[in-house]
Amino acid sequence: MIDPLIQGLLLVLQWKALAFMLLGIGLGFWVGLLPGLGGATTLALMLPFIYTMQPAEAFAFLLGMHSVCATTGDITSVLFGVPGEATTAAVILDGHAMAKKGEAGRALGAALASSLVGALVGALALVLAIPIVRPLVLSFGSPELFMLAIVGLAFIASLSSQGARGMLRGFAAGALGLLLATVGQDPQAGVARFTLDTLYLWQGLDLVPVLVGMFAIPEIVDLAVRGTSIAGELPPGRLNKGAWEGVKDTFRHFGLTIRCSLIGTFIGIMPGLGGSVAQWMAYGHATQSAKNAEEQKGFGQGDVRGVLGPCAATNSKEGGALIPTIAFGVPGSTAMAILLGGFFLMGLVPGPDMLTTYLPITFSMAWTIVLANVITVVVSFLFLNRLAAITSVRGTLLIPVILVLVFIGSYTANSNYGDLVVTLVFGGIGYLMVLGGWPRAPFVLGLVLGKIVENYLYISMARYGSSWLTRPVVLVLFVVAVVVILYPLVQARRTAARRGAHA
Amino acid sequence: MRSKASLSVDSKASLSLGLVIMALSGWAVVSAFEWPWKAALFPLAIGIPMFLLAGAEVLWVILGSAHRGEAKDFQLSQHLPARVALRRTASVMAWTLGFFAAIVLLGFQIAVPLLVFLYLKAAGRESWKLSIVFTAVVWAIFYGLFDYLLHLPFPDGWIQTAIGIG
Amino acid sequence: MRITFAIVAVLALGVCAPQYGQAQTSPYAGKTITIVVGYKPGGGYDATARLLARHLPDHIPGKPTIIVQNMPGANSLIAANNVYAVAKPDGLTMGTFNRNLPIAQLTNVAGVKFDMRKFAWIGSAASEATILAIRDDLPYKTFDEMKKAGKEIVIGATGPGANTYDFPLLIKDLLGVKLKIVSGYSSSSDIMLAIERKEADGRAGSYTSIVNFIDRKLVRPVIRARASEPGIEKLPVDEDLAPNPRAKAIMALRSAPEVIGRPYVMPPGTPDAMVKIMRDAFAKAIKDPKLVAEAKKTKMDLNFVSGDEALKVVNEVMSQPKDIVDEFSKYIKFGE
Repeated sequence: MIDPLIQGLLLVLQWKALAFMLLGIGLGFWVGLLPGLGGATTLALMLPFIYTMQPAEAFAFLLGMHSVCATTGDITSVLFGVPGEATTAAVILDGHAMAKKGEAGRALGAALASSLVGALVGALALVLAIPIVRPLVLSFGSPELFMLAIVGLAFIASLSSQGARGMLRGFAAGALGLLLATVGQDPQAGVARFTLDTLYLWQGLDLVPVLVGMFAIPEIVDLAVRGTSIAGELPPGRLNKGAWEGVKDTFRHFGLTIRCSLIGTFIGIMPGLGGSVAQWMAYGHATQSAKNAEEQKGFGQGDVRGVLGPCAATNSKEGGALIPTIAFGVPGSTAMAILLGGFFLMGLVPGPDMLTTYLPITFSMAWTIVLANVITVVVSFLFLNRLAAITSVRGTLLIPVILVLVFIGSYTANSNYGDLVVTLVFGGIGYLMVLGGWPRAPFVLGLVLGKIVENYLYISMARYGSSWLTRPVVLVLFVVAVVVILYPLVQARRTAARRGAHA
Repeated sequence: MRSKASLSVDSKASLSLGLVIMALSGWAVVSAFEWPWKAALFPLAIGIPMFLLAGAEVLWVILGSAHRGEAKDFQLSQHLPARVALRRTASVMAWTLGFFAAIVLLGFQIAVPLLVFLYLKAAGRESWKLSIVFTAVVWAIFYGLFDYLLHLPFPDGWIQTAIGIG
Repeated sequence: MRITFAIVAVLALGVCAPQYGQAQTSPYAGKTITIVVGYKPGGGYDATARLLARHLPDHIPGKPTIIVQNMPGANSLIAANNVYAVAKPDGLTMGTFNRNLPIAQLTNVAGVKFDMRKFAWIGSAASEATILAIRDDLPYKTFDEMKKAGKEIVIGATGPGANTYDFPLLIKDLLGVKLKIVSGYSSSSDIMLAIERKEADGRAGSYTSIVNFIDRKLVRPVIRARASEPGIEKLPVDEDLAPNPRAKAIMALRSAPEVIGRPYVMPPGTPDAMVKIMRDAFAKAIKDPKLVAEAKKTKMDLNFVSGDEALKVVNEVMSQPKDIVDEFSKYIKFGE
């Protein structure tokens, strides 16, 4: 185990591999930062360039680029409230809120530090899980994945405000997300559902335009209404307090950071769940760490834990997603599917061989993730306070730029004007939700999990009849889901009791 | 029973949202009846509870107390007088829709610098020099990156196609 | 002053003249050609297009630049509609889309705004061989054994319209094999994982996507459709086992587009001269040793089909009698 580990490290530390990794990092930095340049898309475009490279170099380049995207996507989300990547939308809720309180530096520091921790956990999981990965993944069949998606949906309860009214709105929002997930051609009967007779909706709603509209547009409106800079009327001196404080926060809430990293890694290992789920489940879990009702209300207003959770999960997910890709040749995410193409280019066949004969190459990938993230975070820290200064630029200069980013960001996903319409429509819905006090996180959770819940339910029923309900892992997950739903209710009752005792 | 007039802005928003969702789920459920059961099951299983949940919220707004209903989400700034807030909201929404219209009618290449420049001058009341320089920089980055480097397809606007140029 | 002007004018003419001369010999000199791909980057159609984009210019007089634009949506119906009606027929646009579009047109899928026969066909870069493969540790080694055993075999699929679903469906309904098609997997790789988990017993799909798993001895192929590739020539063909002519016609119809696995077309009305240049370049490029070497690296199996042959196949598909089409539509819906 130690020997291949060191071999893997040496593979990465060769001059050429290192150079390519730096190149990849440089590229990935901008790809993640700019909405509209997707990490997965750019990976695909870069694939032909690695023909002439050795395996370790090629992966250093591709992975270096990819590892960085999620981290810098967080920067855009925190500073502008526009999701830099589809996987960095959850950070906006608290991260951008912190920016508006003048704590942009702190939010960025927390985002970067927790991203690093997440990436390290993911890489560590890649290394440690090697012996158990095959039995682990193989024991999670469609019934288990269905139940896991139900656990994900259970987090809606945590993401809603407390009290019956809050839950009502949260679950209504979640239901809306679930329903909208059914738009498109269904995989059972081939019926075109809710497509309004357009070709555009045939393959369903694309996540990126929806997210961009729902999160960025209300922020733009708010910025225009306030008439100030993003950070408001606060004196610029406070901005510099930032980054280091954010790093300390990561360690202050180390348990939470680690737990969310584990959630992300786990979701990454399970192929078929999709890349956007991890951040929302982590966010839901982060809100559960609030000790009382007042703290609960703080989420969405700028609680640093709402930054730590999603950032850690999104980055650890990448290390996790490598595992099924390498061990089974089954990609754990879209980016991994493209990376698989890289495997074949190198003449490597993913599968059990990668865990035995080619172990050093597998480990070199883990090392690449570690090194790429460390370098990115260190470099970002150098610019952090300057980046945070953007939040003190006046709104009238920023609004047109953000608007351009919003429209380009949603257009370049599919080069279809329909996406712009979707962005506007969901911008309106998002605005209404914010105005009316409806939480948006449950909606997104429903949207990303809807297809998975439906499909895996049908597969489970078709394959196992009803006997899948009594499988051990399914039962365990069911209990977890129940706990997740009841947790906020129990918490609310405890707070009420405490208040009653004090009265 | 509270009169409609006394509803606060947030209650009105919640009410409209509830009504929209009721309409949407109603339509979804009715459409689903025509499909084979495999395609219809999930939409029905979601749509019917959704209708009831939204209905409950609508009733709650109409009949209930003035619950502020804070969500675990950001709240729009409260500290400005309502009329100013309303005017600015309408203004920025108009700019957004205008940008969209410009993109469709004139194409991205023209709409982007046009929007940036007009917004800076008209809404931001920035100086001529700043507006022009800023617009030029934004346009250069946009063009250099998305058009020149990545060759993303930016179709001509409707107006160009109608006149026959481009 | 006049002399200076004259010198400048002569120099200018001198600079322009060679280009003017060149423009007379090649309409593509200095131009940019766009290949519109109906899918997102990273998929098979996109990879093939980008490969061609790199090598085609060497075979086109005037050495134009070729760029790739992705226009995903509605299983490439949007891209096809665009290249048919919106793109200018000036020889500077090519399109590549879902090979099953002729079937979409034949079965009157809503939203089809093109006629596949009217495109200016350039050719096809590859054919797609579809196979059905079952898990290696099952006791059946051949198709006959599988059919005779009569035990239910679970086949994982993604959804109607994909060959993961359509191919086994016809085998089940027309050849009478006891297959249970479980649909809804997010991607064909997820089905492979399900096979490893023993949740599914097998899957159908393109040979290229399954070959690695065959080499790894996870699955073995048992039957194939009409198109063949080295390694599976000996497998029984579904059409050959059809019990009656109607069943055979339906299977043949499903397989027909496989020959034009990666179709390339230009908008209808493109000048014949330019189409010819592109066709010739296409044919030469696919045989270009550099391109072949690159394709081999990614395990892309290329197989040139000329524009005329491709058009012939399309015409065959479109001229199927109505009763066959109706019967066909009962089984196969256009999808992925």
